[in-house]
Amino acid sequence: MTASKKERRFVVATDVGGTCTDTVIFDTSGAVHFGKSLSTPPNFADGVLDSIAAAAREAGLTAADVLAGTQLFTHGSTVVDNTLLTRAGAHTGLITTEGFEDTIHVTRGAYGRWAGQTEDQIKHVVASFRPDPLVAMAEIAGVPERVDYKGEAIRDLDEAAVEDAVRHLVENRNVEAIAVCFLWSFYNDAHEKKVREIVSRVAPDTYVTLSSEIAPVPGEYERTSTTVINAYAGRIASDYLGELTRKLGAGGYDGPVLVMQGYGGLLPASEAAGRAVGMIESGPAAGIIGSKFLGDVIGDQNIIAADMGGTTFKVGVIEGGEFEYAREPLIDRFHYLAPKIDIVSIGAGGGSIVSLDPRTNVPRVGPQSAGALPGPVCYGRGGTEPTLTDVAVLVGYLDPAIFLSGEMTLDMDAARTVFTEKIAKPLGMSVENAAIGIMRIAAAQISDLIHEITVERGLDPRDFVLHAFGGTCPILCGLFGQDLNVKRIVVPYAAAVNCAFGLASSDIVHEYSTTKTLQVPSLANDVNAIFDPMIETAKAQLADEGFAVADMRFERAVDFRYGLQIHEVTTPVRGDDTFTDDNLESLGADFEALYERRYGKGSAFRDAGMEMTMFRLTARGLGARPEMIKEDLEGEDGSAALTGRRNIFVEGRGGLAEAAIYSFEKLRPGNKVSGPAVIHTPITTIVLQENQTGRLDQYRNMIIEFA
Amino acid sequence: MDPITFSIIRHRLYRIVDEAVITLKNVSGSATTNEGHDLMVSLYRANGSLLMGGVGFLHHLTSAAEACKAIIRRFKGDIHEGDMFLLNDPYTAALHTSDIYLISPIHYDDQLVGWSACFVHVYDIGAMSPGGFSPQSQDIYTEGFSSPGIKIIDRGELRNDVLDTLLNMVRNPEMVSLDIRSLIACNNVARDRFRVLIRKYGEEIVDGACMTLIDQSEQLLRDRLRELPNGKWQSRQYMDVNAEVHRVGLTMTKEDDHLVFDFSDSSPESPYSINCAYWASWGGLFAPLFPLLCYDITWNEGVIRPIEMIAPEGTIVNCRRPAPVSVATVGAIQSVNNAACTTIGKMLAASEKYKGEATAVWHANHFAIFLFGQNQRGGQSIGILTETFAGAGGARSFADGVDVGGEVPNPISRMANVESMEAAFPLRYLFRRRMKDSGGAGEYRGGVGAELAFVPHDAPDGGLHYVVSGKGTQFPMSEGLNGGYPGAPNSYLWVHSNEETAGDAPLSFAQSLESMPGEKESVTWGVYPIMGRDGLYVQWNGGGGYGDPLERDPAAVVADFEEGVVSEWTLRNVYGVVIDGDAGELDGPGTEAARKAARGTRLQREAAE
Repeated sequence: MTASKKERRFVVATDVGGTCTDTVIFDTSGAVHFGKSLSTPPNFADGVLDSIAAAAREAGLTAADVLAGTQLFTHGSTVVDNTLLTRAGAHTGLITTEGFEDTIHVTRGAYGRWAGQTEDQIKHVVASFRPDPLVAMAEIAGVPERVDYKGEAIRDLDEAAVEDAVRHLVENRNVEAIAVCFLWSFYNDAHEKKVREIVSRVAPDTYVTLSSEIAPVPGEYERTSTTVINAYAGRIASDYLGELTRKLGAGGYDGPVLVMQGYGGLLPASEAAGRAVGMIESGPAAGIIGSKFLGDVIGDQNIIAADMGGTTFKVGVIEGGEFEYAREPLIDRFHYLAPKIDIVSIGAGGGSIVSLDPRTNVPRVGPQSAGALPGPVCYGRGGTEPTLTDVAVLVGYLDPAIFLSGEMTLDMDAARTVFTEKIAKPLGMSVENAAIGIMRIAAAQISDLIHEITVERGLDPRDFVLHAFGGTCPILCGLFGQDLNVKRIVVPYAAAVNCAFGLASSDIVHEYSTTKTLQVPSLANDVNAIFDPMIETAKAQLADEGFAVADMRFERAVDFRYGLQIHEVTTPVRGDDTFTDDNLESLGADFEALYERRYGKGSAFRDAGMEMTMFRLTARGLGARPEMIKEDLEGEDGSAALTGRRNIFVEGRGGLAEAAIYSFEKLRPGNKVSGPAVIHTPITTIVLQENQTGRLDQYRNMIIEFA
Repeated sequence: MDPITFSIIRHRLYRIVDEAVITLKNVSGSATTNEGHDLMVSLYRANGSLLMGGVGFLHHLTSAAEACKAIIRRFKGDIHEGDMFLLNDPYTAALHTSDIYLISPIHYDDQLVGWSACFVHVYDIGAMSPGGFSPQSQDIYTEGFSSPGIKIIDRGELRNDVLDTLLNMVRNPEMVSLDIRSLIACNNVARDRFRVLIRKYGEEIVDGACMTLIDQSEQLLRDRLRELPNGKWQSRQYMDVNAEVHRVGLTMTKEDDHLVFDFSDSSPESPYSINCAYWASWGGLFAPLFPLLCYDITWNEGVIRPIEMIAPEGTIVNCRRPAPVSVATVGAIQSVNNAACTTIGKMLAASEKYKGEATAVWHANHFAIFLFGQNQRGGQSIGILTETFAGAGGARSFADGVDVGGEVPNPISRMANVESMEAAFPLRYLFRRRMKDSGGAGEYRGGVGAELAFVPHDAPDGGLHYVVSGKGTQFPMSEGLNGGYPGAPNSYLWVHSNEETAGDAPLSFAQSLESMPGEKESVTWGVYPIMGRDGLYVQWNGGGGYGDPLERDPAAVVADFEEGVVSEWTLRNVYGVVIDGDAGELDGPGTEAARKAARGTRLQREAAE
């Protein structure tokens, strides 16, 4: 970070997804360049370099020019998700407390059998299974040791037994990584630390993860699972980041490589390398940060961010500029404990197959998907089942001739033929009416889903702005957004590069936590004694990373719960003052208010007493935010962008009605468009229903208001 | 009915139940509700018939329908918008007193358009023993508060006199109050969402969709039944309590498109509280029927229409007032669950098309152990040993049962972590692990159950007490299917330390029942202490096996042996597998010969009989 600003004028953000790797180059001049290339599993670093080169070409530069001129490289990667989904991780062993060897396989009983399953799968009990575990029973060793619920070591660690176990696992079972998880180790990590010492002496090449470091929180099943996942994917993650850093260096970049975490903050690659679980679902997390960034710019504090593309529908909620962490995160049906933005993901998208229940003739959308290949019938890639995208063509939402700016033409006749044969005829309906019906079903299902997600969090969708991302969401959002009665809808201009915006607009964030149970009331000094050392550690860490004190932010929070209750609520601490008995009491009051809001009126139960169970510190090193180009507003008249008229499905008219068709690229900031209308953009299609008005704002976001 | 609107309304009805369940779990923060998922929420039509059953404890779906009907009868002319009723009398509709139904009429434009009903197992109900299960009760009068129907909310106003009367009769009224509040919140959500649905589509269309949904379920089940072979299938479930043995005997007859469940072969009602009343048996047979025959059919009145039950009055499955029933849900009802699972499984296994849906019995025997006493923080704790929600899966026609995989009547459940238990109670676990040889042998093995042991730790009173309703230690209850063996029975052992030397003795870290010091006493029924250096050891049943163990892939048997879930004795004597003594490797030809010999022995034995 020694080169001058002038030479180093780029911030580069690269997001590695399952299929594509996207790069955005932010020039300090305000220009933004976008590049896309195919992801290259398992050697993802190659795809990153390809993608940077693609973005550089857009800017009229070479990858070397860009890397030499880059001040900051931020990165999100699916490498850990991919390692787990393809079962490509290390051969992993587990050392745990004697007597509890089965904890990870038993998955708290049925929990591991039903978690992450759909309701239909859950009801079909006889067909259900647990996923195959990441660590084989023969590679789990129980060793004598015991810590009790107070953190007191009541049985010494049998070090000879540990040494035997390590030798056995490494020499006889050829394990490459060892996870260590003892009961209550989050209160007393001495035994786990000792195991690492022994491994490094006996088998120094073995990758080790300690539960007390990766997830120092209660709940041995989830903690063990987290530790195993980290050991399983750890070496691959750290090798990947090492290789990426080297390749970027060879390309001429010598600045920091920052890696997105599932909690929506960045970590230096050197630190991220040891925390593979932190990288899980970091791409979608970056998307939420991108949405939050946009919200900050245009003044939306309460956002439902919905992303619907070809196969997956993802929803995250931002409330008052904050987001919640998932309570029971899963990766491929495995539980893990790590701070991670709560994002609900279900299999639904443009590729969702439309079918009739063969027994009752009742139409349904999904859950099967035609995916990207063969994809919808109208793509002409061999798809033979009608999909939601085909239906969107039939109701006039998509224009076959100019799909994705005309890069691809859609075969409307094929879609019509298949839809007629498989859906309309058996229903005894006209093609148009059947297609309209399917659109209504799809919109109603999304509306139901979002309603359930908000209710689960104690929120009301009417208080939120809907940000619609992806190829499919802006088609449907006018329908389900109105049904949910959200305040308004925003279709972001930068939707295609939203994750990259998230990467580039994030801070370096370190999450610290201390598990300790304190009854309420407690002495303020006891609480300060927990936070002070965490803050000291965080300050030193951020200082190491080059942050001045002025650019450091510390956010404290305490998890509270009522006695005899299992719900815990993370309660943010206001301000930066050290605790006094007074502000500790008001923190308790904040908890009670939060609890009732989240869990409903009358749910708070003071009589059983309150306790604090976890103390959290979020330490931020503030990063620069990218500039969004702000244009001047012009008149409301958008007729210059009008390209024609055609019939589309308009809910308010109960059928097809004439709509105005606009070209997004010809609209000017300030222009207004009244529904019913369709606006074709290079990446998606926006449909305005009757009584909806779209306005292009200064950043070219389409703001949809309801009359 | 317009299929589009129908599809939309159906989806929304499912979501309404989901949102109500979420609300119930949110407001009630209790472990039983949130970990055990010991709850249920369903929607009912205006006449009380089941409209949309949710995923919860499934034997409640039909009983709550009867509860709605009982309220309709009792409060005729006095059911108003904003009312809510409480019902928990087992002789009216409930399963046992501690499962409280809260029932809410749903009105639209002053018309009664439906009902929402839900339940949780409340923290306490004022029965003889804390927690609701009362092994020592001799009649319903000692099983706590019980109401055949009482108005708890009158036109939107909570009747505090009623609530206070209930709370006046229970241990820890604050927790029970919270349970009741969670039920109220749950019904409020269901009611409000249902009304929004009607506002949007109109009462006539919504009701039309509901009727269509019910008719469709009926048609689908009848079609499926017609595809299955006609016949009679039987199951006998034996339950021992102390020295007495009780039987739930079932003959299921399937003819054309209907099923008759005949429990005439069951024991007379018992002096013990394992009995169940009529509506409980009715619900008990549906708990497995819904997921086994209707996994892809909406659970509503339509599924109920083709089914008939015969349960003679005065038997253990239709006991008469005032017989005690507090242990019913883990007593006779669970045996009805098991017997129905077996007869349905036998019928499915007899069909080429549906063989894949057959399963041996899962988790046949709950062990409702309620711990109570002073905890390490000086407060009082009552709580169920949540391990009982972690039963073992029965074997299927194509796969082994899921080890410690749950149960059929309650598809969503889980047990607490050891760390959660040790934080809540002054206890220290010695081990909690899968139990060798507990899974029923078969071509496909039943899932294994588990074993645990704990001792008091930091207990201010020196320990705790517990209520155990541990019937079924003498006979295995998780039946096998198609020649599969049953899973191992439960066991509850009080390990008496030698009190005189215990004070200075080092803490025990015993790793097996055998190595736990002291004399072992079987405790199955009643209230017992666990004090000082004494321990409690619990072993729970495995799932039933499927098919002949001699047909099991020998490599799978060896793998089970290596993983420690099958012993060498069982490998040799039950599965007829031979392994090389030193290397432990499979001896293929030796196994062939051993299995041939075993079959020969069977033939001789049958000839001798």
